[in-house]
This record gives sequence, C-alpha cells and structure tokens, in this order.
Amino acid sequence: ATEWNVSVWGKRRAFTEHIEKMAEIVAEESSGEFTMAISYGGLSNNRENLDGISIGAFEMAQFCAGYHRDKNRAITVLELPFLGVETLEQEVAVANAVYGHPAVAEEMAQWNARILMTSPMPQYNIVGTGEPRDTVEEFDGMRVRATGGIGSVFESVGAVPTSVTATEAYNSMESGVVDSVAFAQHAHLSFGTIDIADWWTENLNPGTVNCPVVVNTDAYEALSDEHRAILDAAVEASIDHYLTNYAELLEGWETTLSEKGVEKVTVAPEEIAKMRENAGPIHEAWIEEATSNGLPGQELYDLTVQAVSDNAPSN
Amino acid sequence: MDALIDMKALLEGVDVFTMSLWLSGLLLVLVVIGVRVAFAAAFIGFLGLCLFFMQKQGFDRGLVTAMKTVGQIPHSKATQYALSLIPTFILIGYLAYYAGLTRYLFEAAKRWVGWVPGGLGVATVFATAGFAAVSGASVATSAVFARIAIPEMLREGYDKRFAAGVVAAGGTLASLIPPSAILVIYAIIVEQSVGKLLLAGFLPGMVSALIYGGLVIGLAKIRPSLGPAVGGYSWGDRFRALPGAMPILLVVFIIVYSIYFGWATPTEAGALGAGVVLAMAVWQGMRFGQLKGALMEAAKLTVMIFAMIWGVLIYVRYLGFAKLPDAFATFIAGLDYPPYLILLAILLAYVVLGMFMDAIGMLILTLPVTFPAVMALNGGVGGEPGSLGMTNEEAAIWFGIIVVKMAELCLITPPIGLNCFVVAGVAQDAKMDISVSDVFRGASPFFVADVITVAVLVAFPGIVLFLPGLL
Amino acid sequence: MSTPSSVLTDDTRLSRADRLLLRVEALLNLASGITIFALVLLAIANVLLRKFLNAPVPGYIDWTEQFMAIFAFLGLAYVQREGGHIRMDLLVGKLRGRLLWLFEFLSVLFMLLVTTALIYGAWFHFDRSFDWNAPNFSTDSSIDIALPLWPAKLAVPVAFTLLWLRLALQLWAYGRAIRTGAERPVAVPLIEDPAEQANKEAATVAD
Ligand code: NA
Ligand code: NA
Repeated sequence: ATEWNVSVWGKRRAFTEHIEKMAEIVAEESSGEFTMAISYGGLSNNRENLDGISIGAFEMAQFCAGYHRDKNRAITVLELPFLGVETLEQEVAVANAVYGHPAVAEEMAQWNARILMTSPMPQYNIVGTGEPRDTVEEFDGMRVRATGGIGSVFESVGAVPTSVTATEAYNSMESGVVDSVAFAQHAHLSFGTIDIADWWTENLNPGTVNCPVVVNTDAYEALSDEHRAILDAAVEASIDHYLTNYAELLEGWETTLSEKGVEKVTVAPEEIAKMRENAGPIHEAWIEEATSNGLPGQELYDLTVQAVSDNAPSN
Repeated sequence: MDALIDMKALLEGVDVFTMSLWLSGLLLVLVVIGVRVAFAAAFIGFLGLCLFFMQKQGFDRGLVTAMKTVGQIPHSKATQYALSLIPTFILIGYLAYYAGLTRYLFEAAKRWVGWVPGGLGVATVFATAGFAAVSGASVATSAVFARIAIPEMLREGYDKRFAAGVVAAGGTLASLIPPSAILVIYAIIVEQSVGKLLLAGFLPGMVSALIYGGLVIGLAKIRPSLGPAVGGYSWGDRFRALPGAMPILLVVFIIVYSIYFGWATPTEAGALGAGVVLAMAVWQGMRFGQLKGALMEAAKLTVMIFAMIWGVLIYVRYLGFAKLPDAFATFIAGLDYPPYLILLAILLAYVVLGMFMDAIGMLILTLPVTFPAVMALNGGVGGEPGSLGMTNEEAAIWFGIIVVKMAELCLITPPIGLNCFVVAGVAQDAKMDISVSDVFRGASPFFVADVITVAVLVAFPGIVLFLPGLL
Repeated sequence: MSTPSSVLTDDTRLSRADRLLLRVEALLNLASGITIFALVLLAIANVLLRKFLNAPVPGYIDWTEQFMAIFAFLGLAYVQREGGHIRMDLLVGKLRGRLLWLFEFLSVLFMLLVTTALIYGAWFHFDRSFDWNAPNFSTDSSIDIALPLWPAKLAVPVAFTLLWLRLALQLWAYGRAIRTGAERPVAVPLIEDPAEQANKEAATVAD
C-alpha cells in the first residue's frame, strides 16, 4: 500500500476541497491501496511547502505563488493585476494553459515538483468602511491592505498599500488603520472583514493569487502505472467538485451581503479602464524582469492574455 | 550507509504512532538528566524524523531528508510576525525596570495591600497584574518581577519557594490581561479577531488575579511561616506611592487609545508602549551603559525563548508526521458523552500535555485538533447557541481564553514550565539560592487557583464574553 | 543588573580560546539587542508616518520578519556560554566532581549532534533561497514587497556554526575536567557556592 503525506495549511475549507476530494477518489479507485493523509499545517509552514516537496519530506502540497515570487517566477504571470479574469472556470483554464508551458515545468522541476492542478481563487475585490468608493479619484489616499501586484496597482492611482497581517485586517479596518481590504470572498468571511464593511466592489476584479497543488516528482514516478493513472484521472473530478462547492459559497455570498448590510459597489467600466491602464506598466515590468531572469517572459504573458480571451465566459 | 544498514527492513512494520510515544518518553529522560530543554526537544524531533524518513527512504536519503526538514524550522518558525511582540515586551520589561515602573508598582501594591496575611505575596500578584497591562509576555513579566519582588520577600523572611512561586504564577497574568502575545497567536491559528480576543482576556485576567490574591491570603493564614504581613503604612504613605505607579496608566492609555482610535494595530501598539517606557527610562536618567545592558539582557532572554519555540516546534513537527494530533481528533470524535464531560476531558488532556510542553508549542500542536473538536462539540449553527450555551463565534472567543489559561498553567507545572525556569534562571543569575524545583514547589498551590479560575470561566462564560460583546 | 559571569578563566589555551570566542559571541548578542531596539523604532516610525503623513513604511511586516531572524539567532552561542539556555537542574544540581562533568559532557554532546544536523539543514534552507545567477541572488522572497530572504536565512547557519564551536569548546573543557577531576574547571558555566555568590552580589550592588 502507498500512503502519501499531503501538506496544506489553515483549516478544511472551500480552498482545500479539491484535495479532500482527490484523496477520496484515489482511495476508492485503488481499493484503499493508495491513500493520502492530508495535514493542515502539521508538516510545514505555508510558505515552505515547496521546500518540503523539494526535500522529499512529503509527496504532495499546495502553495500560492504570491507567497514567494522568487521561488516561482514563471507562474506569477497569473497573479498580474487586471488580467480580466471573471469566473473560476476561466481561472482554471488560464492556469492550465500556463502550467502547460515548458518554462513552468522546468522551474517546478528545480523544486523536484510537478504541478497537478490549480486551486482557482476568485478576484480580490475590496471591502471598505465609510462612503462607498467607486471611482479611481476616490481611491486617492485610501489606505488599502493589498500585497504584491494588486498593492502596486492601487498605489498607482494614489491609494496607500498598508502592511497589516491578514489576521489583523479586521481590527485594522475597524479602528481605521486601513480603510479597505482586498481579499477573495472566503477570506473576507473567515477574517471577518465583511462583518464591519460598509461596501464591497463586485466588479473591480483587480487580480488574484495563483495556488497550484504539486507533487514530488520522485514520488510521482515511483507510483505504479495503475496508481499514477488513477491520480491523473482524479484531477478533473476534483476540480469539478471544487467549482461546484465554490459556486454554492458564492451563492451564499449575496445573502451574506444583504444580511450584513454591505452595499454592493459597481465600478463603472471607464473607471476600471483607468486602473487597467496603470496595470500596463506593471505588466511590462513583469515581462522585462522575467526575461532578464532567463524566462520567456513575453511568451508566457502572451499565452496568458490569449488564454484569458479564449476562455472568456460567453454572454 | 545503505550498504551497511538496511533501515527500511529494520523499521519494517514499526508503528509510527507507538514510536512517537516512546520517543516522547525519551525526551523526558533527556530533560531530567539536564539537557538544555530546547535542544533536547530538537534532538528528539530530529531522531524521530530520522526514523520516520529512514523507514520510507532508507538510511542515507532518510538522514538527509530529516536534516533538511529540521533545518528549515528555526528560520521558518522564528520569523513569524506575531512573535515579534515577544522581544518588544521583554525590552519593555527591562526598560520599565530602569524607568523604575516595576519598583513603583510593587511599592504601591505593598503599601496598599501589604497589611493582609502574606501581604508581599498579594502585593506581587497585584503588581504583576498591573504590569500585565503593559507587558504581553508572561515569561518576561516573571523575569522582571523575579529581580524585584523575590529579594524583597526574602529580606522580610518569606519562604523562598513561596516567594518564587508567586512570581512565576503572577507572570502568567500578563497573557490574559491585554496586550498578550499568546492570545494573538491563538487568534492567528484559529482565525478569529485579535481585538475581540484581547478584550475578552481582560476580565478573566482580573478574576484570576483576585483568585491568586485570595489563595495567598488563605495560605498565609494556614501557615504563617510562609511570610508576615507588612503593615505600618499610613494613608499618606499609600497615596504618596501612587504617582510613581501612574505612568503605567499613561502607557495603558496610549496602547488602548492607539488601538481603538486607529493609530496602530495591536501588534504595533506594543512598540508604542515600548517607546513611551523608553522615554520614561531616559527621563529617569538611564545611562548609555544601562541601555546597552538592557539590550544585552533582552537579547539573551529573547534568544532563549525563541530557541525554546523552534526547539519544541521541531519536536512538534515530528509529532505532525507521526499523526499524533489526528489520533487525538479521532479519539474525541468517537466519544459518546455529554459535551461538558468531553470538554473536561480535553482540559485534562491539556493539563497532562502542559506538563511536558511549552505554552506556544502546545497551542500550535493542539489547536488544529481541539478547536474544531470544541466547535463541533458546541455545534451552534449560524447565530444559534449550541450545546455549550454559546454561538460558535462566542465559543471560539471563550475557548481561546480557556485554552490560553490552560497553556499558562503549563508554564508553572513540572517538569517543563517556562516561567519557573526563568524565575530560577534570574534567581541564579542574581545569585539567590533558589533552584528550579524550589520554584515548581512554590508554584504548585497556584495550580489549584488556576483550576478554580477555569471552573469559574466555564460556569460563567459571560465574564469572557461581556467586553468583546460591546465591540 | 547584569551580573558577573560564572565562567572561570586562566591562561591556558582552553581559556584563551574561550575568551576569544566570547568576544565574537558578545558582539553578536549585542547586535541581536540592537536589532530588537531597531524593530521598536521601526514600528513607531510606521505608526507615526501612517498617522501623520498617510505614508506607512512600505512592506513593514516583511522588514520586521527579516529583522526577526537576526535577533532570534545571533545570540545563540553567547547564551550557551553563559549557561542561559534553560534546563532542568533537578539531577545535575546534586552531582559533584567527575560524575557531574560526565553528565555535562553527555548533555553538550547531544546538543552538538542536533546542532550539526541543524547546520546542514539550515545551510540548505539558505541554499534553496540563493542562486549566484538570479537577480539579487534570490530564489525566495517575502510576500508583500518581495525582499530576498537569503540574508536572513544565512544568519541561521552562521549562528549555529558559532554555537557548534562553543559546544566543541565546552566538550573539550568538560573532557579535561573528567580527566583531571577538577572541582572548578575553566571555560564552562559553574554552579556557584554560597560564599562566592554573596561576594559577587556585593560587587553588583557596589557597581
Ligand atoms: Na498583558
Ligand atoms: Na509544564
């Protein structure tokens, strides 16, 4: 019998449902001969999951590219602000397109890792206190808790990226240390920022993080052909399960908003366009930096943009 | 080495869980024969990981994997932002010492309550409670008061064990009364509001101080040899002692004001407090040499505590691979008993674990298991109260205070009790004749007081939930 | 407030090596303390700049976490030299002479073993974050403003190596004490007798 240790973090939530599902499918299909023991934080810190894979301490793990951009420069293209991704299905398709590029496989191979699937995250829309802000002008001087590229794009329109931890986001917003916080919906729920928010931008869609699930290459190759086939085949069903589950969560989101009295702010397309314009130089800078790192920056970027438009939700 | 020893064959069929229990026993042996605790824990964790990986990967690869795994942990665990509070509050402790704050507090408490039986002990309890309002680390609080209160009690003829025990126990108040590093850690692990948790700790901290005070009076009445009352202060003397202790109120005001009016996050507010205390110390005429001394001492204590944290976490990482937390969860989930009985069992498990573990290590190890277990136990859905009479959101705050109190308890229980080690360490450093076992013996009555406190908080959750309810 | 050390010195090679090492250790421990102080100042600056200029320190948390690796590790060997890492003295406190030195020797040997593993592992932890050919030599960075992590990660194996030297020196010292049966060997922290304690206490008060 083969048992894989799987390192994830936090607690069981929508974000880890595909891994739970995969463990279920794999155990079932192999009649219990191939099992996965999922550990929520017991095997590694979230920022060292890739290290653990590289060492061979565990066989499978989840991580987010944005936690350590220098470890995984190639896939950070998926975290660029204002790529225009609207749905989770689109997110999955774009991620898969980029994961399929040899440069990504090569970079992951340096960590002895191989990407199995993605963990699509909704766009990091912002919640805030006070009067709703729905124009770029109103972002001027706004203290926002947003990291990385999303922070940079807010900064480009005069907002002030403010460094507070996710766990202190609630308190910081409540007391006014920050005026707004950028998270995906489930994080707004679990960190409680939605509880004290007055408004939420429904369509700003400034970007998100990319969080692949990877396996240790040696462990993957050491699997029997049968087990490897089971694992590979389980990806699709696991992602489907994830998407169904997340869709339910998003349905509840509308109810949550009205229950908590949070106003849904719709930002006008021309306002979004202004911000997207500012994202341009950030995209350029990414391509330039990636190229100087020996990555096919332009190619990865074009691939991403193409995948976004190819997979745009049909209206 | 693979050619020489076939570790895979040798370890074939060895049960990882059973092995983890044996190694935990070995850890106890190493600690008892005097191996520095942080390194004993790290050594056992390393040994366990070696066996774990060798079983899977053979000797050579297993050894390398184990070394690389333990080698990540110190940096990874020591650089978590929430822990940055710890040196800040240790430094506050030393600076407050130079600003004369701790001495003024102790002097004021002595004049006001010294006349009761065991008066200096009661004064220590209230002075540590006051100091808890600026200090976020119980170990640092014990360290600072060990330097001030113990010599004074020894001078008045107090029993040395009793004196050391009061200081070790009094220090634990710093973790309930805000600010508190460990409540921040709890909030981070279970993803609850830091602000609500800090506020929730205030009243339980007060209740705990009152119960400690009552216990000291009771003990001193039964055994007058523990220490005499210290009377003879006029009302004039008492009021004259107050202005010296006032700056503590200023620091508290600045911390509370800055958190609640949006100047600072709870973590940053600690640094503001340190800044104020530094200014006071300078104003009191602290010299450069003294600042250097304070920095050297703060660094020493910080390094020691952080070594303890990563050392224990290497051992905890091994337990993670051995799936000890999972075994516990399965065990709890399978129980078919009334909720309060299961809660009692969980708390008892904390007492046992707490004997061997450090507070932070224990929380990090157990919360991923016990927190969901307690939430499931309560079973409140949405805003509806569950079987513990609270909504799940309230239960999360309430359990935080209970579990932090349990974790604080482990700081004063043998064989591993950080507060007692630190008190003994300071005492040894100051050449007082007090051993670790003296401190443990002196702290043992406070174990009873803590059990009473926990019982009170379980019976009256309102004490915990009242203040955060106002948010 | 800081009391004189309980480590004896003489003019043997061992003691000279001890003092040479101490000079480095004390300096690093002071650096650790200064880092704590700098951290407090950084936090105050962050609060004030944010409040009055709406311009907080960019990546404040990232910077704090880098500082933490410095203050948490640089003093490791110094604390060991002074006998400051906590332990249970229930048993060793009762021992005397060769038997005591034997237990101390064993205790330090355990520490040396695990420290050796830690140096190896911490070095590779650093090595995974460092690449001569990468920009800023970095293959691992912080979450917010992408600071390279390798300098902080390098501090760890360096501190452990210094600790290793200290432990090796203590093995030497305890080994010699086992051989000579000395009651009060040099270069290791000692448990003091009451008369000596009283003398030293008087000295601190006079200071
Ligand atoms: Na406190
Ligand atoms: Na204990």
